[in-house]
Amino acid sequence: MIEALWNNLDYAASVILFCIGLYAVITRNNLIKKFMGLNIMETAVFAFIVALGVVENGDAPIMGDGASAPFINPLPQALILTGIVVAVSTTALALSLVIRIWRQCGTIEADELREAE
Amino acid sequence: MTSWSPLLALFLVIPLVGAVLTPVVSDSSGRRSWGWAVFIMSVTSAMSVSLIVRVLEEGPFSYVIGGWVAPYGIELRFDEFSASVAIVCLLGLLAIVFSRHYAPQALTPERIPYYYTLLLLNLTGMLGFIVTGDLFNLYVFTEILSLSAYALVAISGEKTAEMAAFKYLVMGAVSSLSILFGVGLLYALTGSLNMADVTSRLAGTAHAPLVMAFAALTLGFMVKAALFPLHIWLPDAHAIAPSPVSAVLSGLVVKIGILGMLRVYQMAYGSGAIDLSGLNLTLTWLGAISIVMGAFFAVFQDDIKMMLAYSTISNIGYIVMGLGLASSYSLIGASVHVFNHALIKATLFLGAGALIHQTGQRTLTGLAGIGRSMPFTTAAISIGAISIVGIPPTAGFLCKWYIALGALEAGEPIFAVALVFGALLIFIYYIRMVNAFYFRKPQDAGAPAVHEAPLTMLVPVLILAALCLIMGILGRLPLSFIEPAVTRLLTPLGGG
Amino acid sequence: MEVVDARVAIAPAISLLCAALVFAAADHTFWRRFFSLSAALAKLIIVMSMLPGALKGVVYTFDLVEFTPGVGLAFRADALGMFFAVVSSTLWLFTSIYAIGYMEREPNRRRFFGFFALCVSTTVGVAFAENLLTLFLFYETLTICTYPLVVHDETPEAMRAGRTYLAYTLTGGAFVLLGSIWTYQLAGTMTLSQPGILTMEAGRTTLTALFVCLIAGFGVKAAIMPLHGWLPTAMVAPTPVSALLHAVAVVKVGAFGVLRTIYNVFGVDLLQELGVCDWLAALAGITIIAASVIAIFQDNFKRRLAFSTISQLSYIVLGAALLSPLAATAAIVHIANQAFAKITMFFVAGSIQRTTGKTAIHEFAGIGYRMPYTMGAFTVAALSFIGIPLFAGFVTKWYLSLGALESDQWIYALVMLGSSLLNAAYWLPIIYTAFFKSPREDALVHEAHWTMLGPTLLCAAYVLLLGMTVSVPGMPFALAQAAVKFVFGM
Repeated sequence: MIEALWNNLDYAASVILFCIGLYAVITRNNLIKKFMGLNIMETAVFAFIVALGVVENGDAPIMGDGASAPFINPLPQALILTGIVVAVSTTALALSLVIRIWRQCGTIEADELREAE
Repeated sequence: MTSWSPLLALFLVIPLVGAVLTPVVSDSSGRRSWGWAVFIMSVTSAMSVSLIVRVLEEGPFSYVIGGWVAPYGIELRFDEFSASVAIVCLLGLLAIVFSRHYAPQALTPERIPYYYTLLLLNLTGMLGFIVTGDLFNLYVFTEILSLSAYALVAISGEKTAEMAAFKYLVMGAVSSLSILFGVGLLYALTGSLNMADVTSRLAGTAHAPLVMAFAALTLGFMVKAALFPLHIWLPDAHAIAPSPVSAVLSGLVVKIGILGMLRVYQMAYGSGAIDLSGLNLTLTWLGAISIVMGAFFAVFQDDIKMMLAYSTISNIGYIVMGLGLASSYSLIGASVHVFNHALIKATLFLGAGALIHQTGQRTLTGLAGIGRSMPFTTAAISIGAISIVGIPPTAGFLCKWYIALGALEAGEPIFAVALVFGALLIFIYYIRMVNAFYFRKPQDAGAPAVHEAPLTMLVPVLILAALCLIMGILGRLPLSFIEPAVTRLLTPLGGG
Repeated sequence: MEVVDARVAIAPAISLLCAALVFAAADHTFWRRFFSLSAALAKLIIVMSMLPGALKGVVYTFDLVEFTPGVGLAFRADALGMFFAVVSSTLWLFTSIYAIGYMEREPNRRRFFGFFALCVSTTVGVAFAENLLTLFLFYETLTICTYPLVVHDETPEAMRAGRTYLAYTLTGGAFVLLGSIWTYQLAGTMTLSQPGILTMEAGRTTLTALFVCLIAGFGVKAAIMPLHGWLPTAMVAPTPVSALLHAVAVVKVGAFGVLRTIYNVFGVDLLQELGVCDWLAALAGITIIAASVIAIFQDNFKRRLAFSTISQLSYIVLGAALLSPLAATAAIVHIANQAFAKITMFFVAGSIQRTTGKTAIHEFAGIGYRMPYTMGAFTVAALSFIGIPLFAGFVTKWYLSLGALESDQWIYALVMLGSSLLNAAYWLPIIYTAFFKSPREDALVHEAHWTMLGPTLLCAAYVLLLGMTVSVPGMPFALAQAAVKFVFGM
C-alpha cells in the first residue's frame, strides 16, 4: 500500500491537492476564496494529466538536432493547454460575476448575500 | 458512402462561426442579430436532418478531423443516440424564434447580440457533445456549453440572476473537473482517448483506478443532470434565466448530463470490465428520491417557473431511475424520455415565458384567470402539463409506461410505485396551475387588458404543444431509433 | 362473432364533438341547447343501433391507435359494456333536458354544458374500453372533466369540495395505473375481452397485491367504505351534476371498473382459488349497512341521497364479489336499476330546490300538495330502493339474495333484508313529511318547469317498467344475462 503510494507520489499529490481545493470551495464563505479553491482543483487535475505523460529520462518531444528517444508523451500537454484555456475563461466569467455581485450588493460573503436575498 | 462526410464537421463549424459573428452582423436594435441566429440555426437544423437520414440508411458513421485515422485523430461519430441532435436543433431554433420579442424586454439592447452568441455557442456545445467520439472533446464541449449556460443565466443582469449563475458556475466547474479527472484516468489506463478504442482496451486494466474513473465521470455528469442531492443549483438558475434560456437549459442542457452517463454506460457495458450493479442501485434510488422530492417541492411553489424547475428535477429522476434499473424496457423508456421531456419542458417554459412577457406576472396568484385572455398559450401549457404527468395519448405517457414496466421487469415494484406517485404529485401541481388559469377570478379587475402573445412566441409554443401530442400518438417513431441503440448498449462489444 | 365497426368509437366521439361545438358556440343559448340535445339524441341512436346486433351476440370492436405492440387505445362493445353504454346514453338525454331547465339562470353555462358532454363521452369510453389502458385513460379523464362541474359555483366551499374530490379520485387513478402496468407485466396483455387474463403462475402474494391495487383504485369512485369520503362533500355541485356524478357517470364507472377487474382481469375461477373476494364481499356488506345507518341521520336531502348512493353502489360490488351467476346478474342489472331510481331522486331534489328553495328534509312538510307529480315520482323511486315487488329495486334484491344463498353465504341475504328495512327507515319519513304534515299548501299547486318535470316522470316510469317487466324497451335484461354467461363460461 505504502509502496504503491510512494511509486505514484505525483498522482497522490494531485489527489491531495484536489481535496484541498474542494474543501476550500465547500467551506469558504468568500466568493473569491471559493473560486481560488476551484483554481487549486483545476491545477491538481492538470498536474495529474501532465504527469501521465512523463517518461523516465525522457526528452522533450521537439524534433531537431539532438532529439533522441524516449520522448515524453506530448498529448497530455496538448490537452492541458486546452484545459488551461477553459480554466482561464471560467475564472474570467466567475470574476466578472463576482464584480457585478459586489457592485449590486456591496458584499461577496455568501452568508450576507443569502440574508440580503 | 453516399453522402459527403465532412458535413459532420461543418455541422459544428457553422453554428460556432455563426455564434462568433453575431455581434458583427448586429445592428443597434438587435433585430438583425435575431435574423442571423435564426438563419444559422435553420441551416444547422437542415444539416441535422440530412445526417439523421444518413444514419437511418447506413447505420452509425464517423468522420476524422484532419485525416488522422481513429484512434489517433479526433473522431466525430454519429450513431442512433446522436439522433438527439434533431431535438437540440429544433428546440434551439424555436427558442431563438421565441426570443424575438422576449429578448428586448428582458435585456438591455447592447446585450442582445451577445445573448444570441451565447445561445448559439450553447447549442454548438451540445451538438459537439453529442457527435464527438473523443473523450477529451467531450470535456471541451461540456465546457463550451456550461460556460455559455452560466453566462446566459446571468445575462438579465439582475442581482438574483448573478447569484444563481455563480452558484451554478461553482458547482458546474467542480463537476467539469471531476469529468476531466475521469477522462485523465481513463487515458492513463488505456493510453487512448477515443471512446470506442477505450472501450476495447478497458478489459484487464487495474480495477481500483477504473472504478475511480467511472465514479468521477458519473459524479460529474450527475451534477450536470441535477440529480438529487446535487440538484441545488438548478431551481434558481432555471427559474431566473430568461424563459427561452430556461427552455434550453431545462430541456437540453441537463440532458447532457444524462447523455454523458449514457456514454459512460456505453463504455462500461461495452468493455464488460466493471461491475455496475452497485452504481445502478445507487442511481435507481437517487432517481426515485429525485422523482418524489422534486415533485413534492414543485407542489409548494407559487412561482410558475420555479415549479417547472423542480418538475425538471423530478423528470431527471425518471430518466436516471430508468438508467439505473438497467433492464431493456427501462433503458428504452429513459432514452425516449430524454427526447420527450425536452419537448414537454420546452413547451411549458416557453408558454410560461409568453405569459410572463404579456402580463409581467410570474406567480400563480398573479396569473389568475389568464385563460380567458390568452386562450392559445394556456391551452398549449395545459397540453404540456398533461404530457408531463404522463396521461395517454401524450408524449409523456409511453416513457413512464416503459420505465414502470422496467421496474416490474427487474422485480422492483417499489420503483413503479415511486414513479406513479411522483406523477400523481406533479399532477396535483398542474391542477393548481390549470385552476389558477381557468377557474379563478383575475386579481384586480382594473388592470389593463392582457392580449394573446405575439406570433413569434405563440407559434413556437403551439408547434411544441402539437409535438407533445404527435409524439404520444406516434410513440413508435423514437422507439425505432432507440431500440437498436439500447440493444447494442446491453450487448458487450466482443459478444454477439 | 366480432365485427370491426367504427360506431363503438363514434359513440364516445359524438359527445366530444358536442363539447367542442358547445365551447365554440360561445354564449348563443339556442345553439348550445341545440348541440347538447342533438348530440345526446344522436348518441342514443348510435348506441341503440348496435343493440339488436349485441343481443344476437355480435361484438363490435375498433382499434383506435396503437402506441407500441400491445399497448394502445381500442374499443370493444361486449354485452357488459353495451349494457352500461345503453344506461348512460339514455340517462344523458334525460339529464341534458333537465339541465337546460335547471341551469336557466346560472353563470358559466358554456363551461358547464361543455364539460357535461365530455363527462358522458368519457363514460361511454369506459363502457367500450377494450383494454385496461383505455379504461384508465377515460377513467382519469372523467375525473378531470367532472372537476369543473363540481367547482362550478366557484365558492370557497365548492373549491374545497373540488380539492377533496380530486385528492380521492386521483389517488385512486394512480392505483389503477399501477395495477394496469402490473397486469401488463404479468399477463403480457391488458385486454378486457377474455374472462380473465391472469393465471395462478404469478403467485398468490403478487395476485393479492394486484387485486387490492385495482380494487382500491376503482373502489374510490365506487365509494366502498372507507374510500367514500369525497362523495358527500361533492354535493355542493349543481343538482344535475350530482345526478350525473351519482347515478350515471362517476360512481358507475368505479363500479364498472370493479366488475371488469373481477370478471375480465382476474376471472371468476382464479378469484375463487385466491379467496380475496370474501373480504371484498364483507367490506361491501359493511358499507351497505353502515352507509344506510348514517343516511338516517342526515337532514340535508342531498346528503341523505349521497349516503344512499354509497349504500346502493355496494350492492353492485357485493353482487360481483359473491362470484355466483345469479349475484352477477343482480350486480349488472343494478347498474340500471340504481341509476334510474337515484337520478329520479336527484331530479326531485333539484326541482324542489329550484321551485321552493328548500334543501332540508324538515322543511318539506306538505310539499307533496304543492308538487304532487314530483313527489309522486320520488315515491316510486323510494319504494324501488326499499325493494317492494313490482319496482326495479326488488329485482336486484331478489337475484342478489338468491346468489348469496347459491354460494352458501346466507349472511348476505340477511344484509339485503336489513338494508330494505333501513331504506324504509330513511325514505318513508320523507314521504310522510311531504304528504301528511301541515302546512298543506294545496291551494298552491306549483310544479317545476316541464323541462325538469318531464325527465323526472320519465325516469320514474322507467323504474316501474324495470321492476314489472324485467325487459323494458331499451333496457335489455338479456344483455346482462349474456354477460354473465360469458363470464362464467356457461
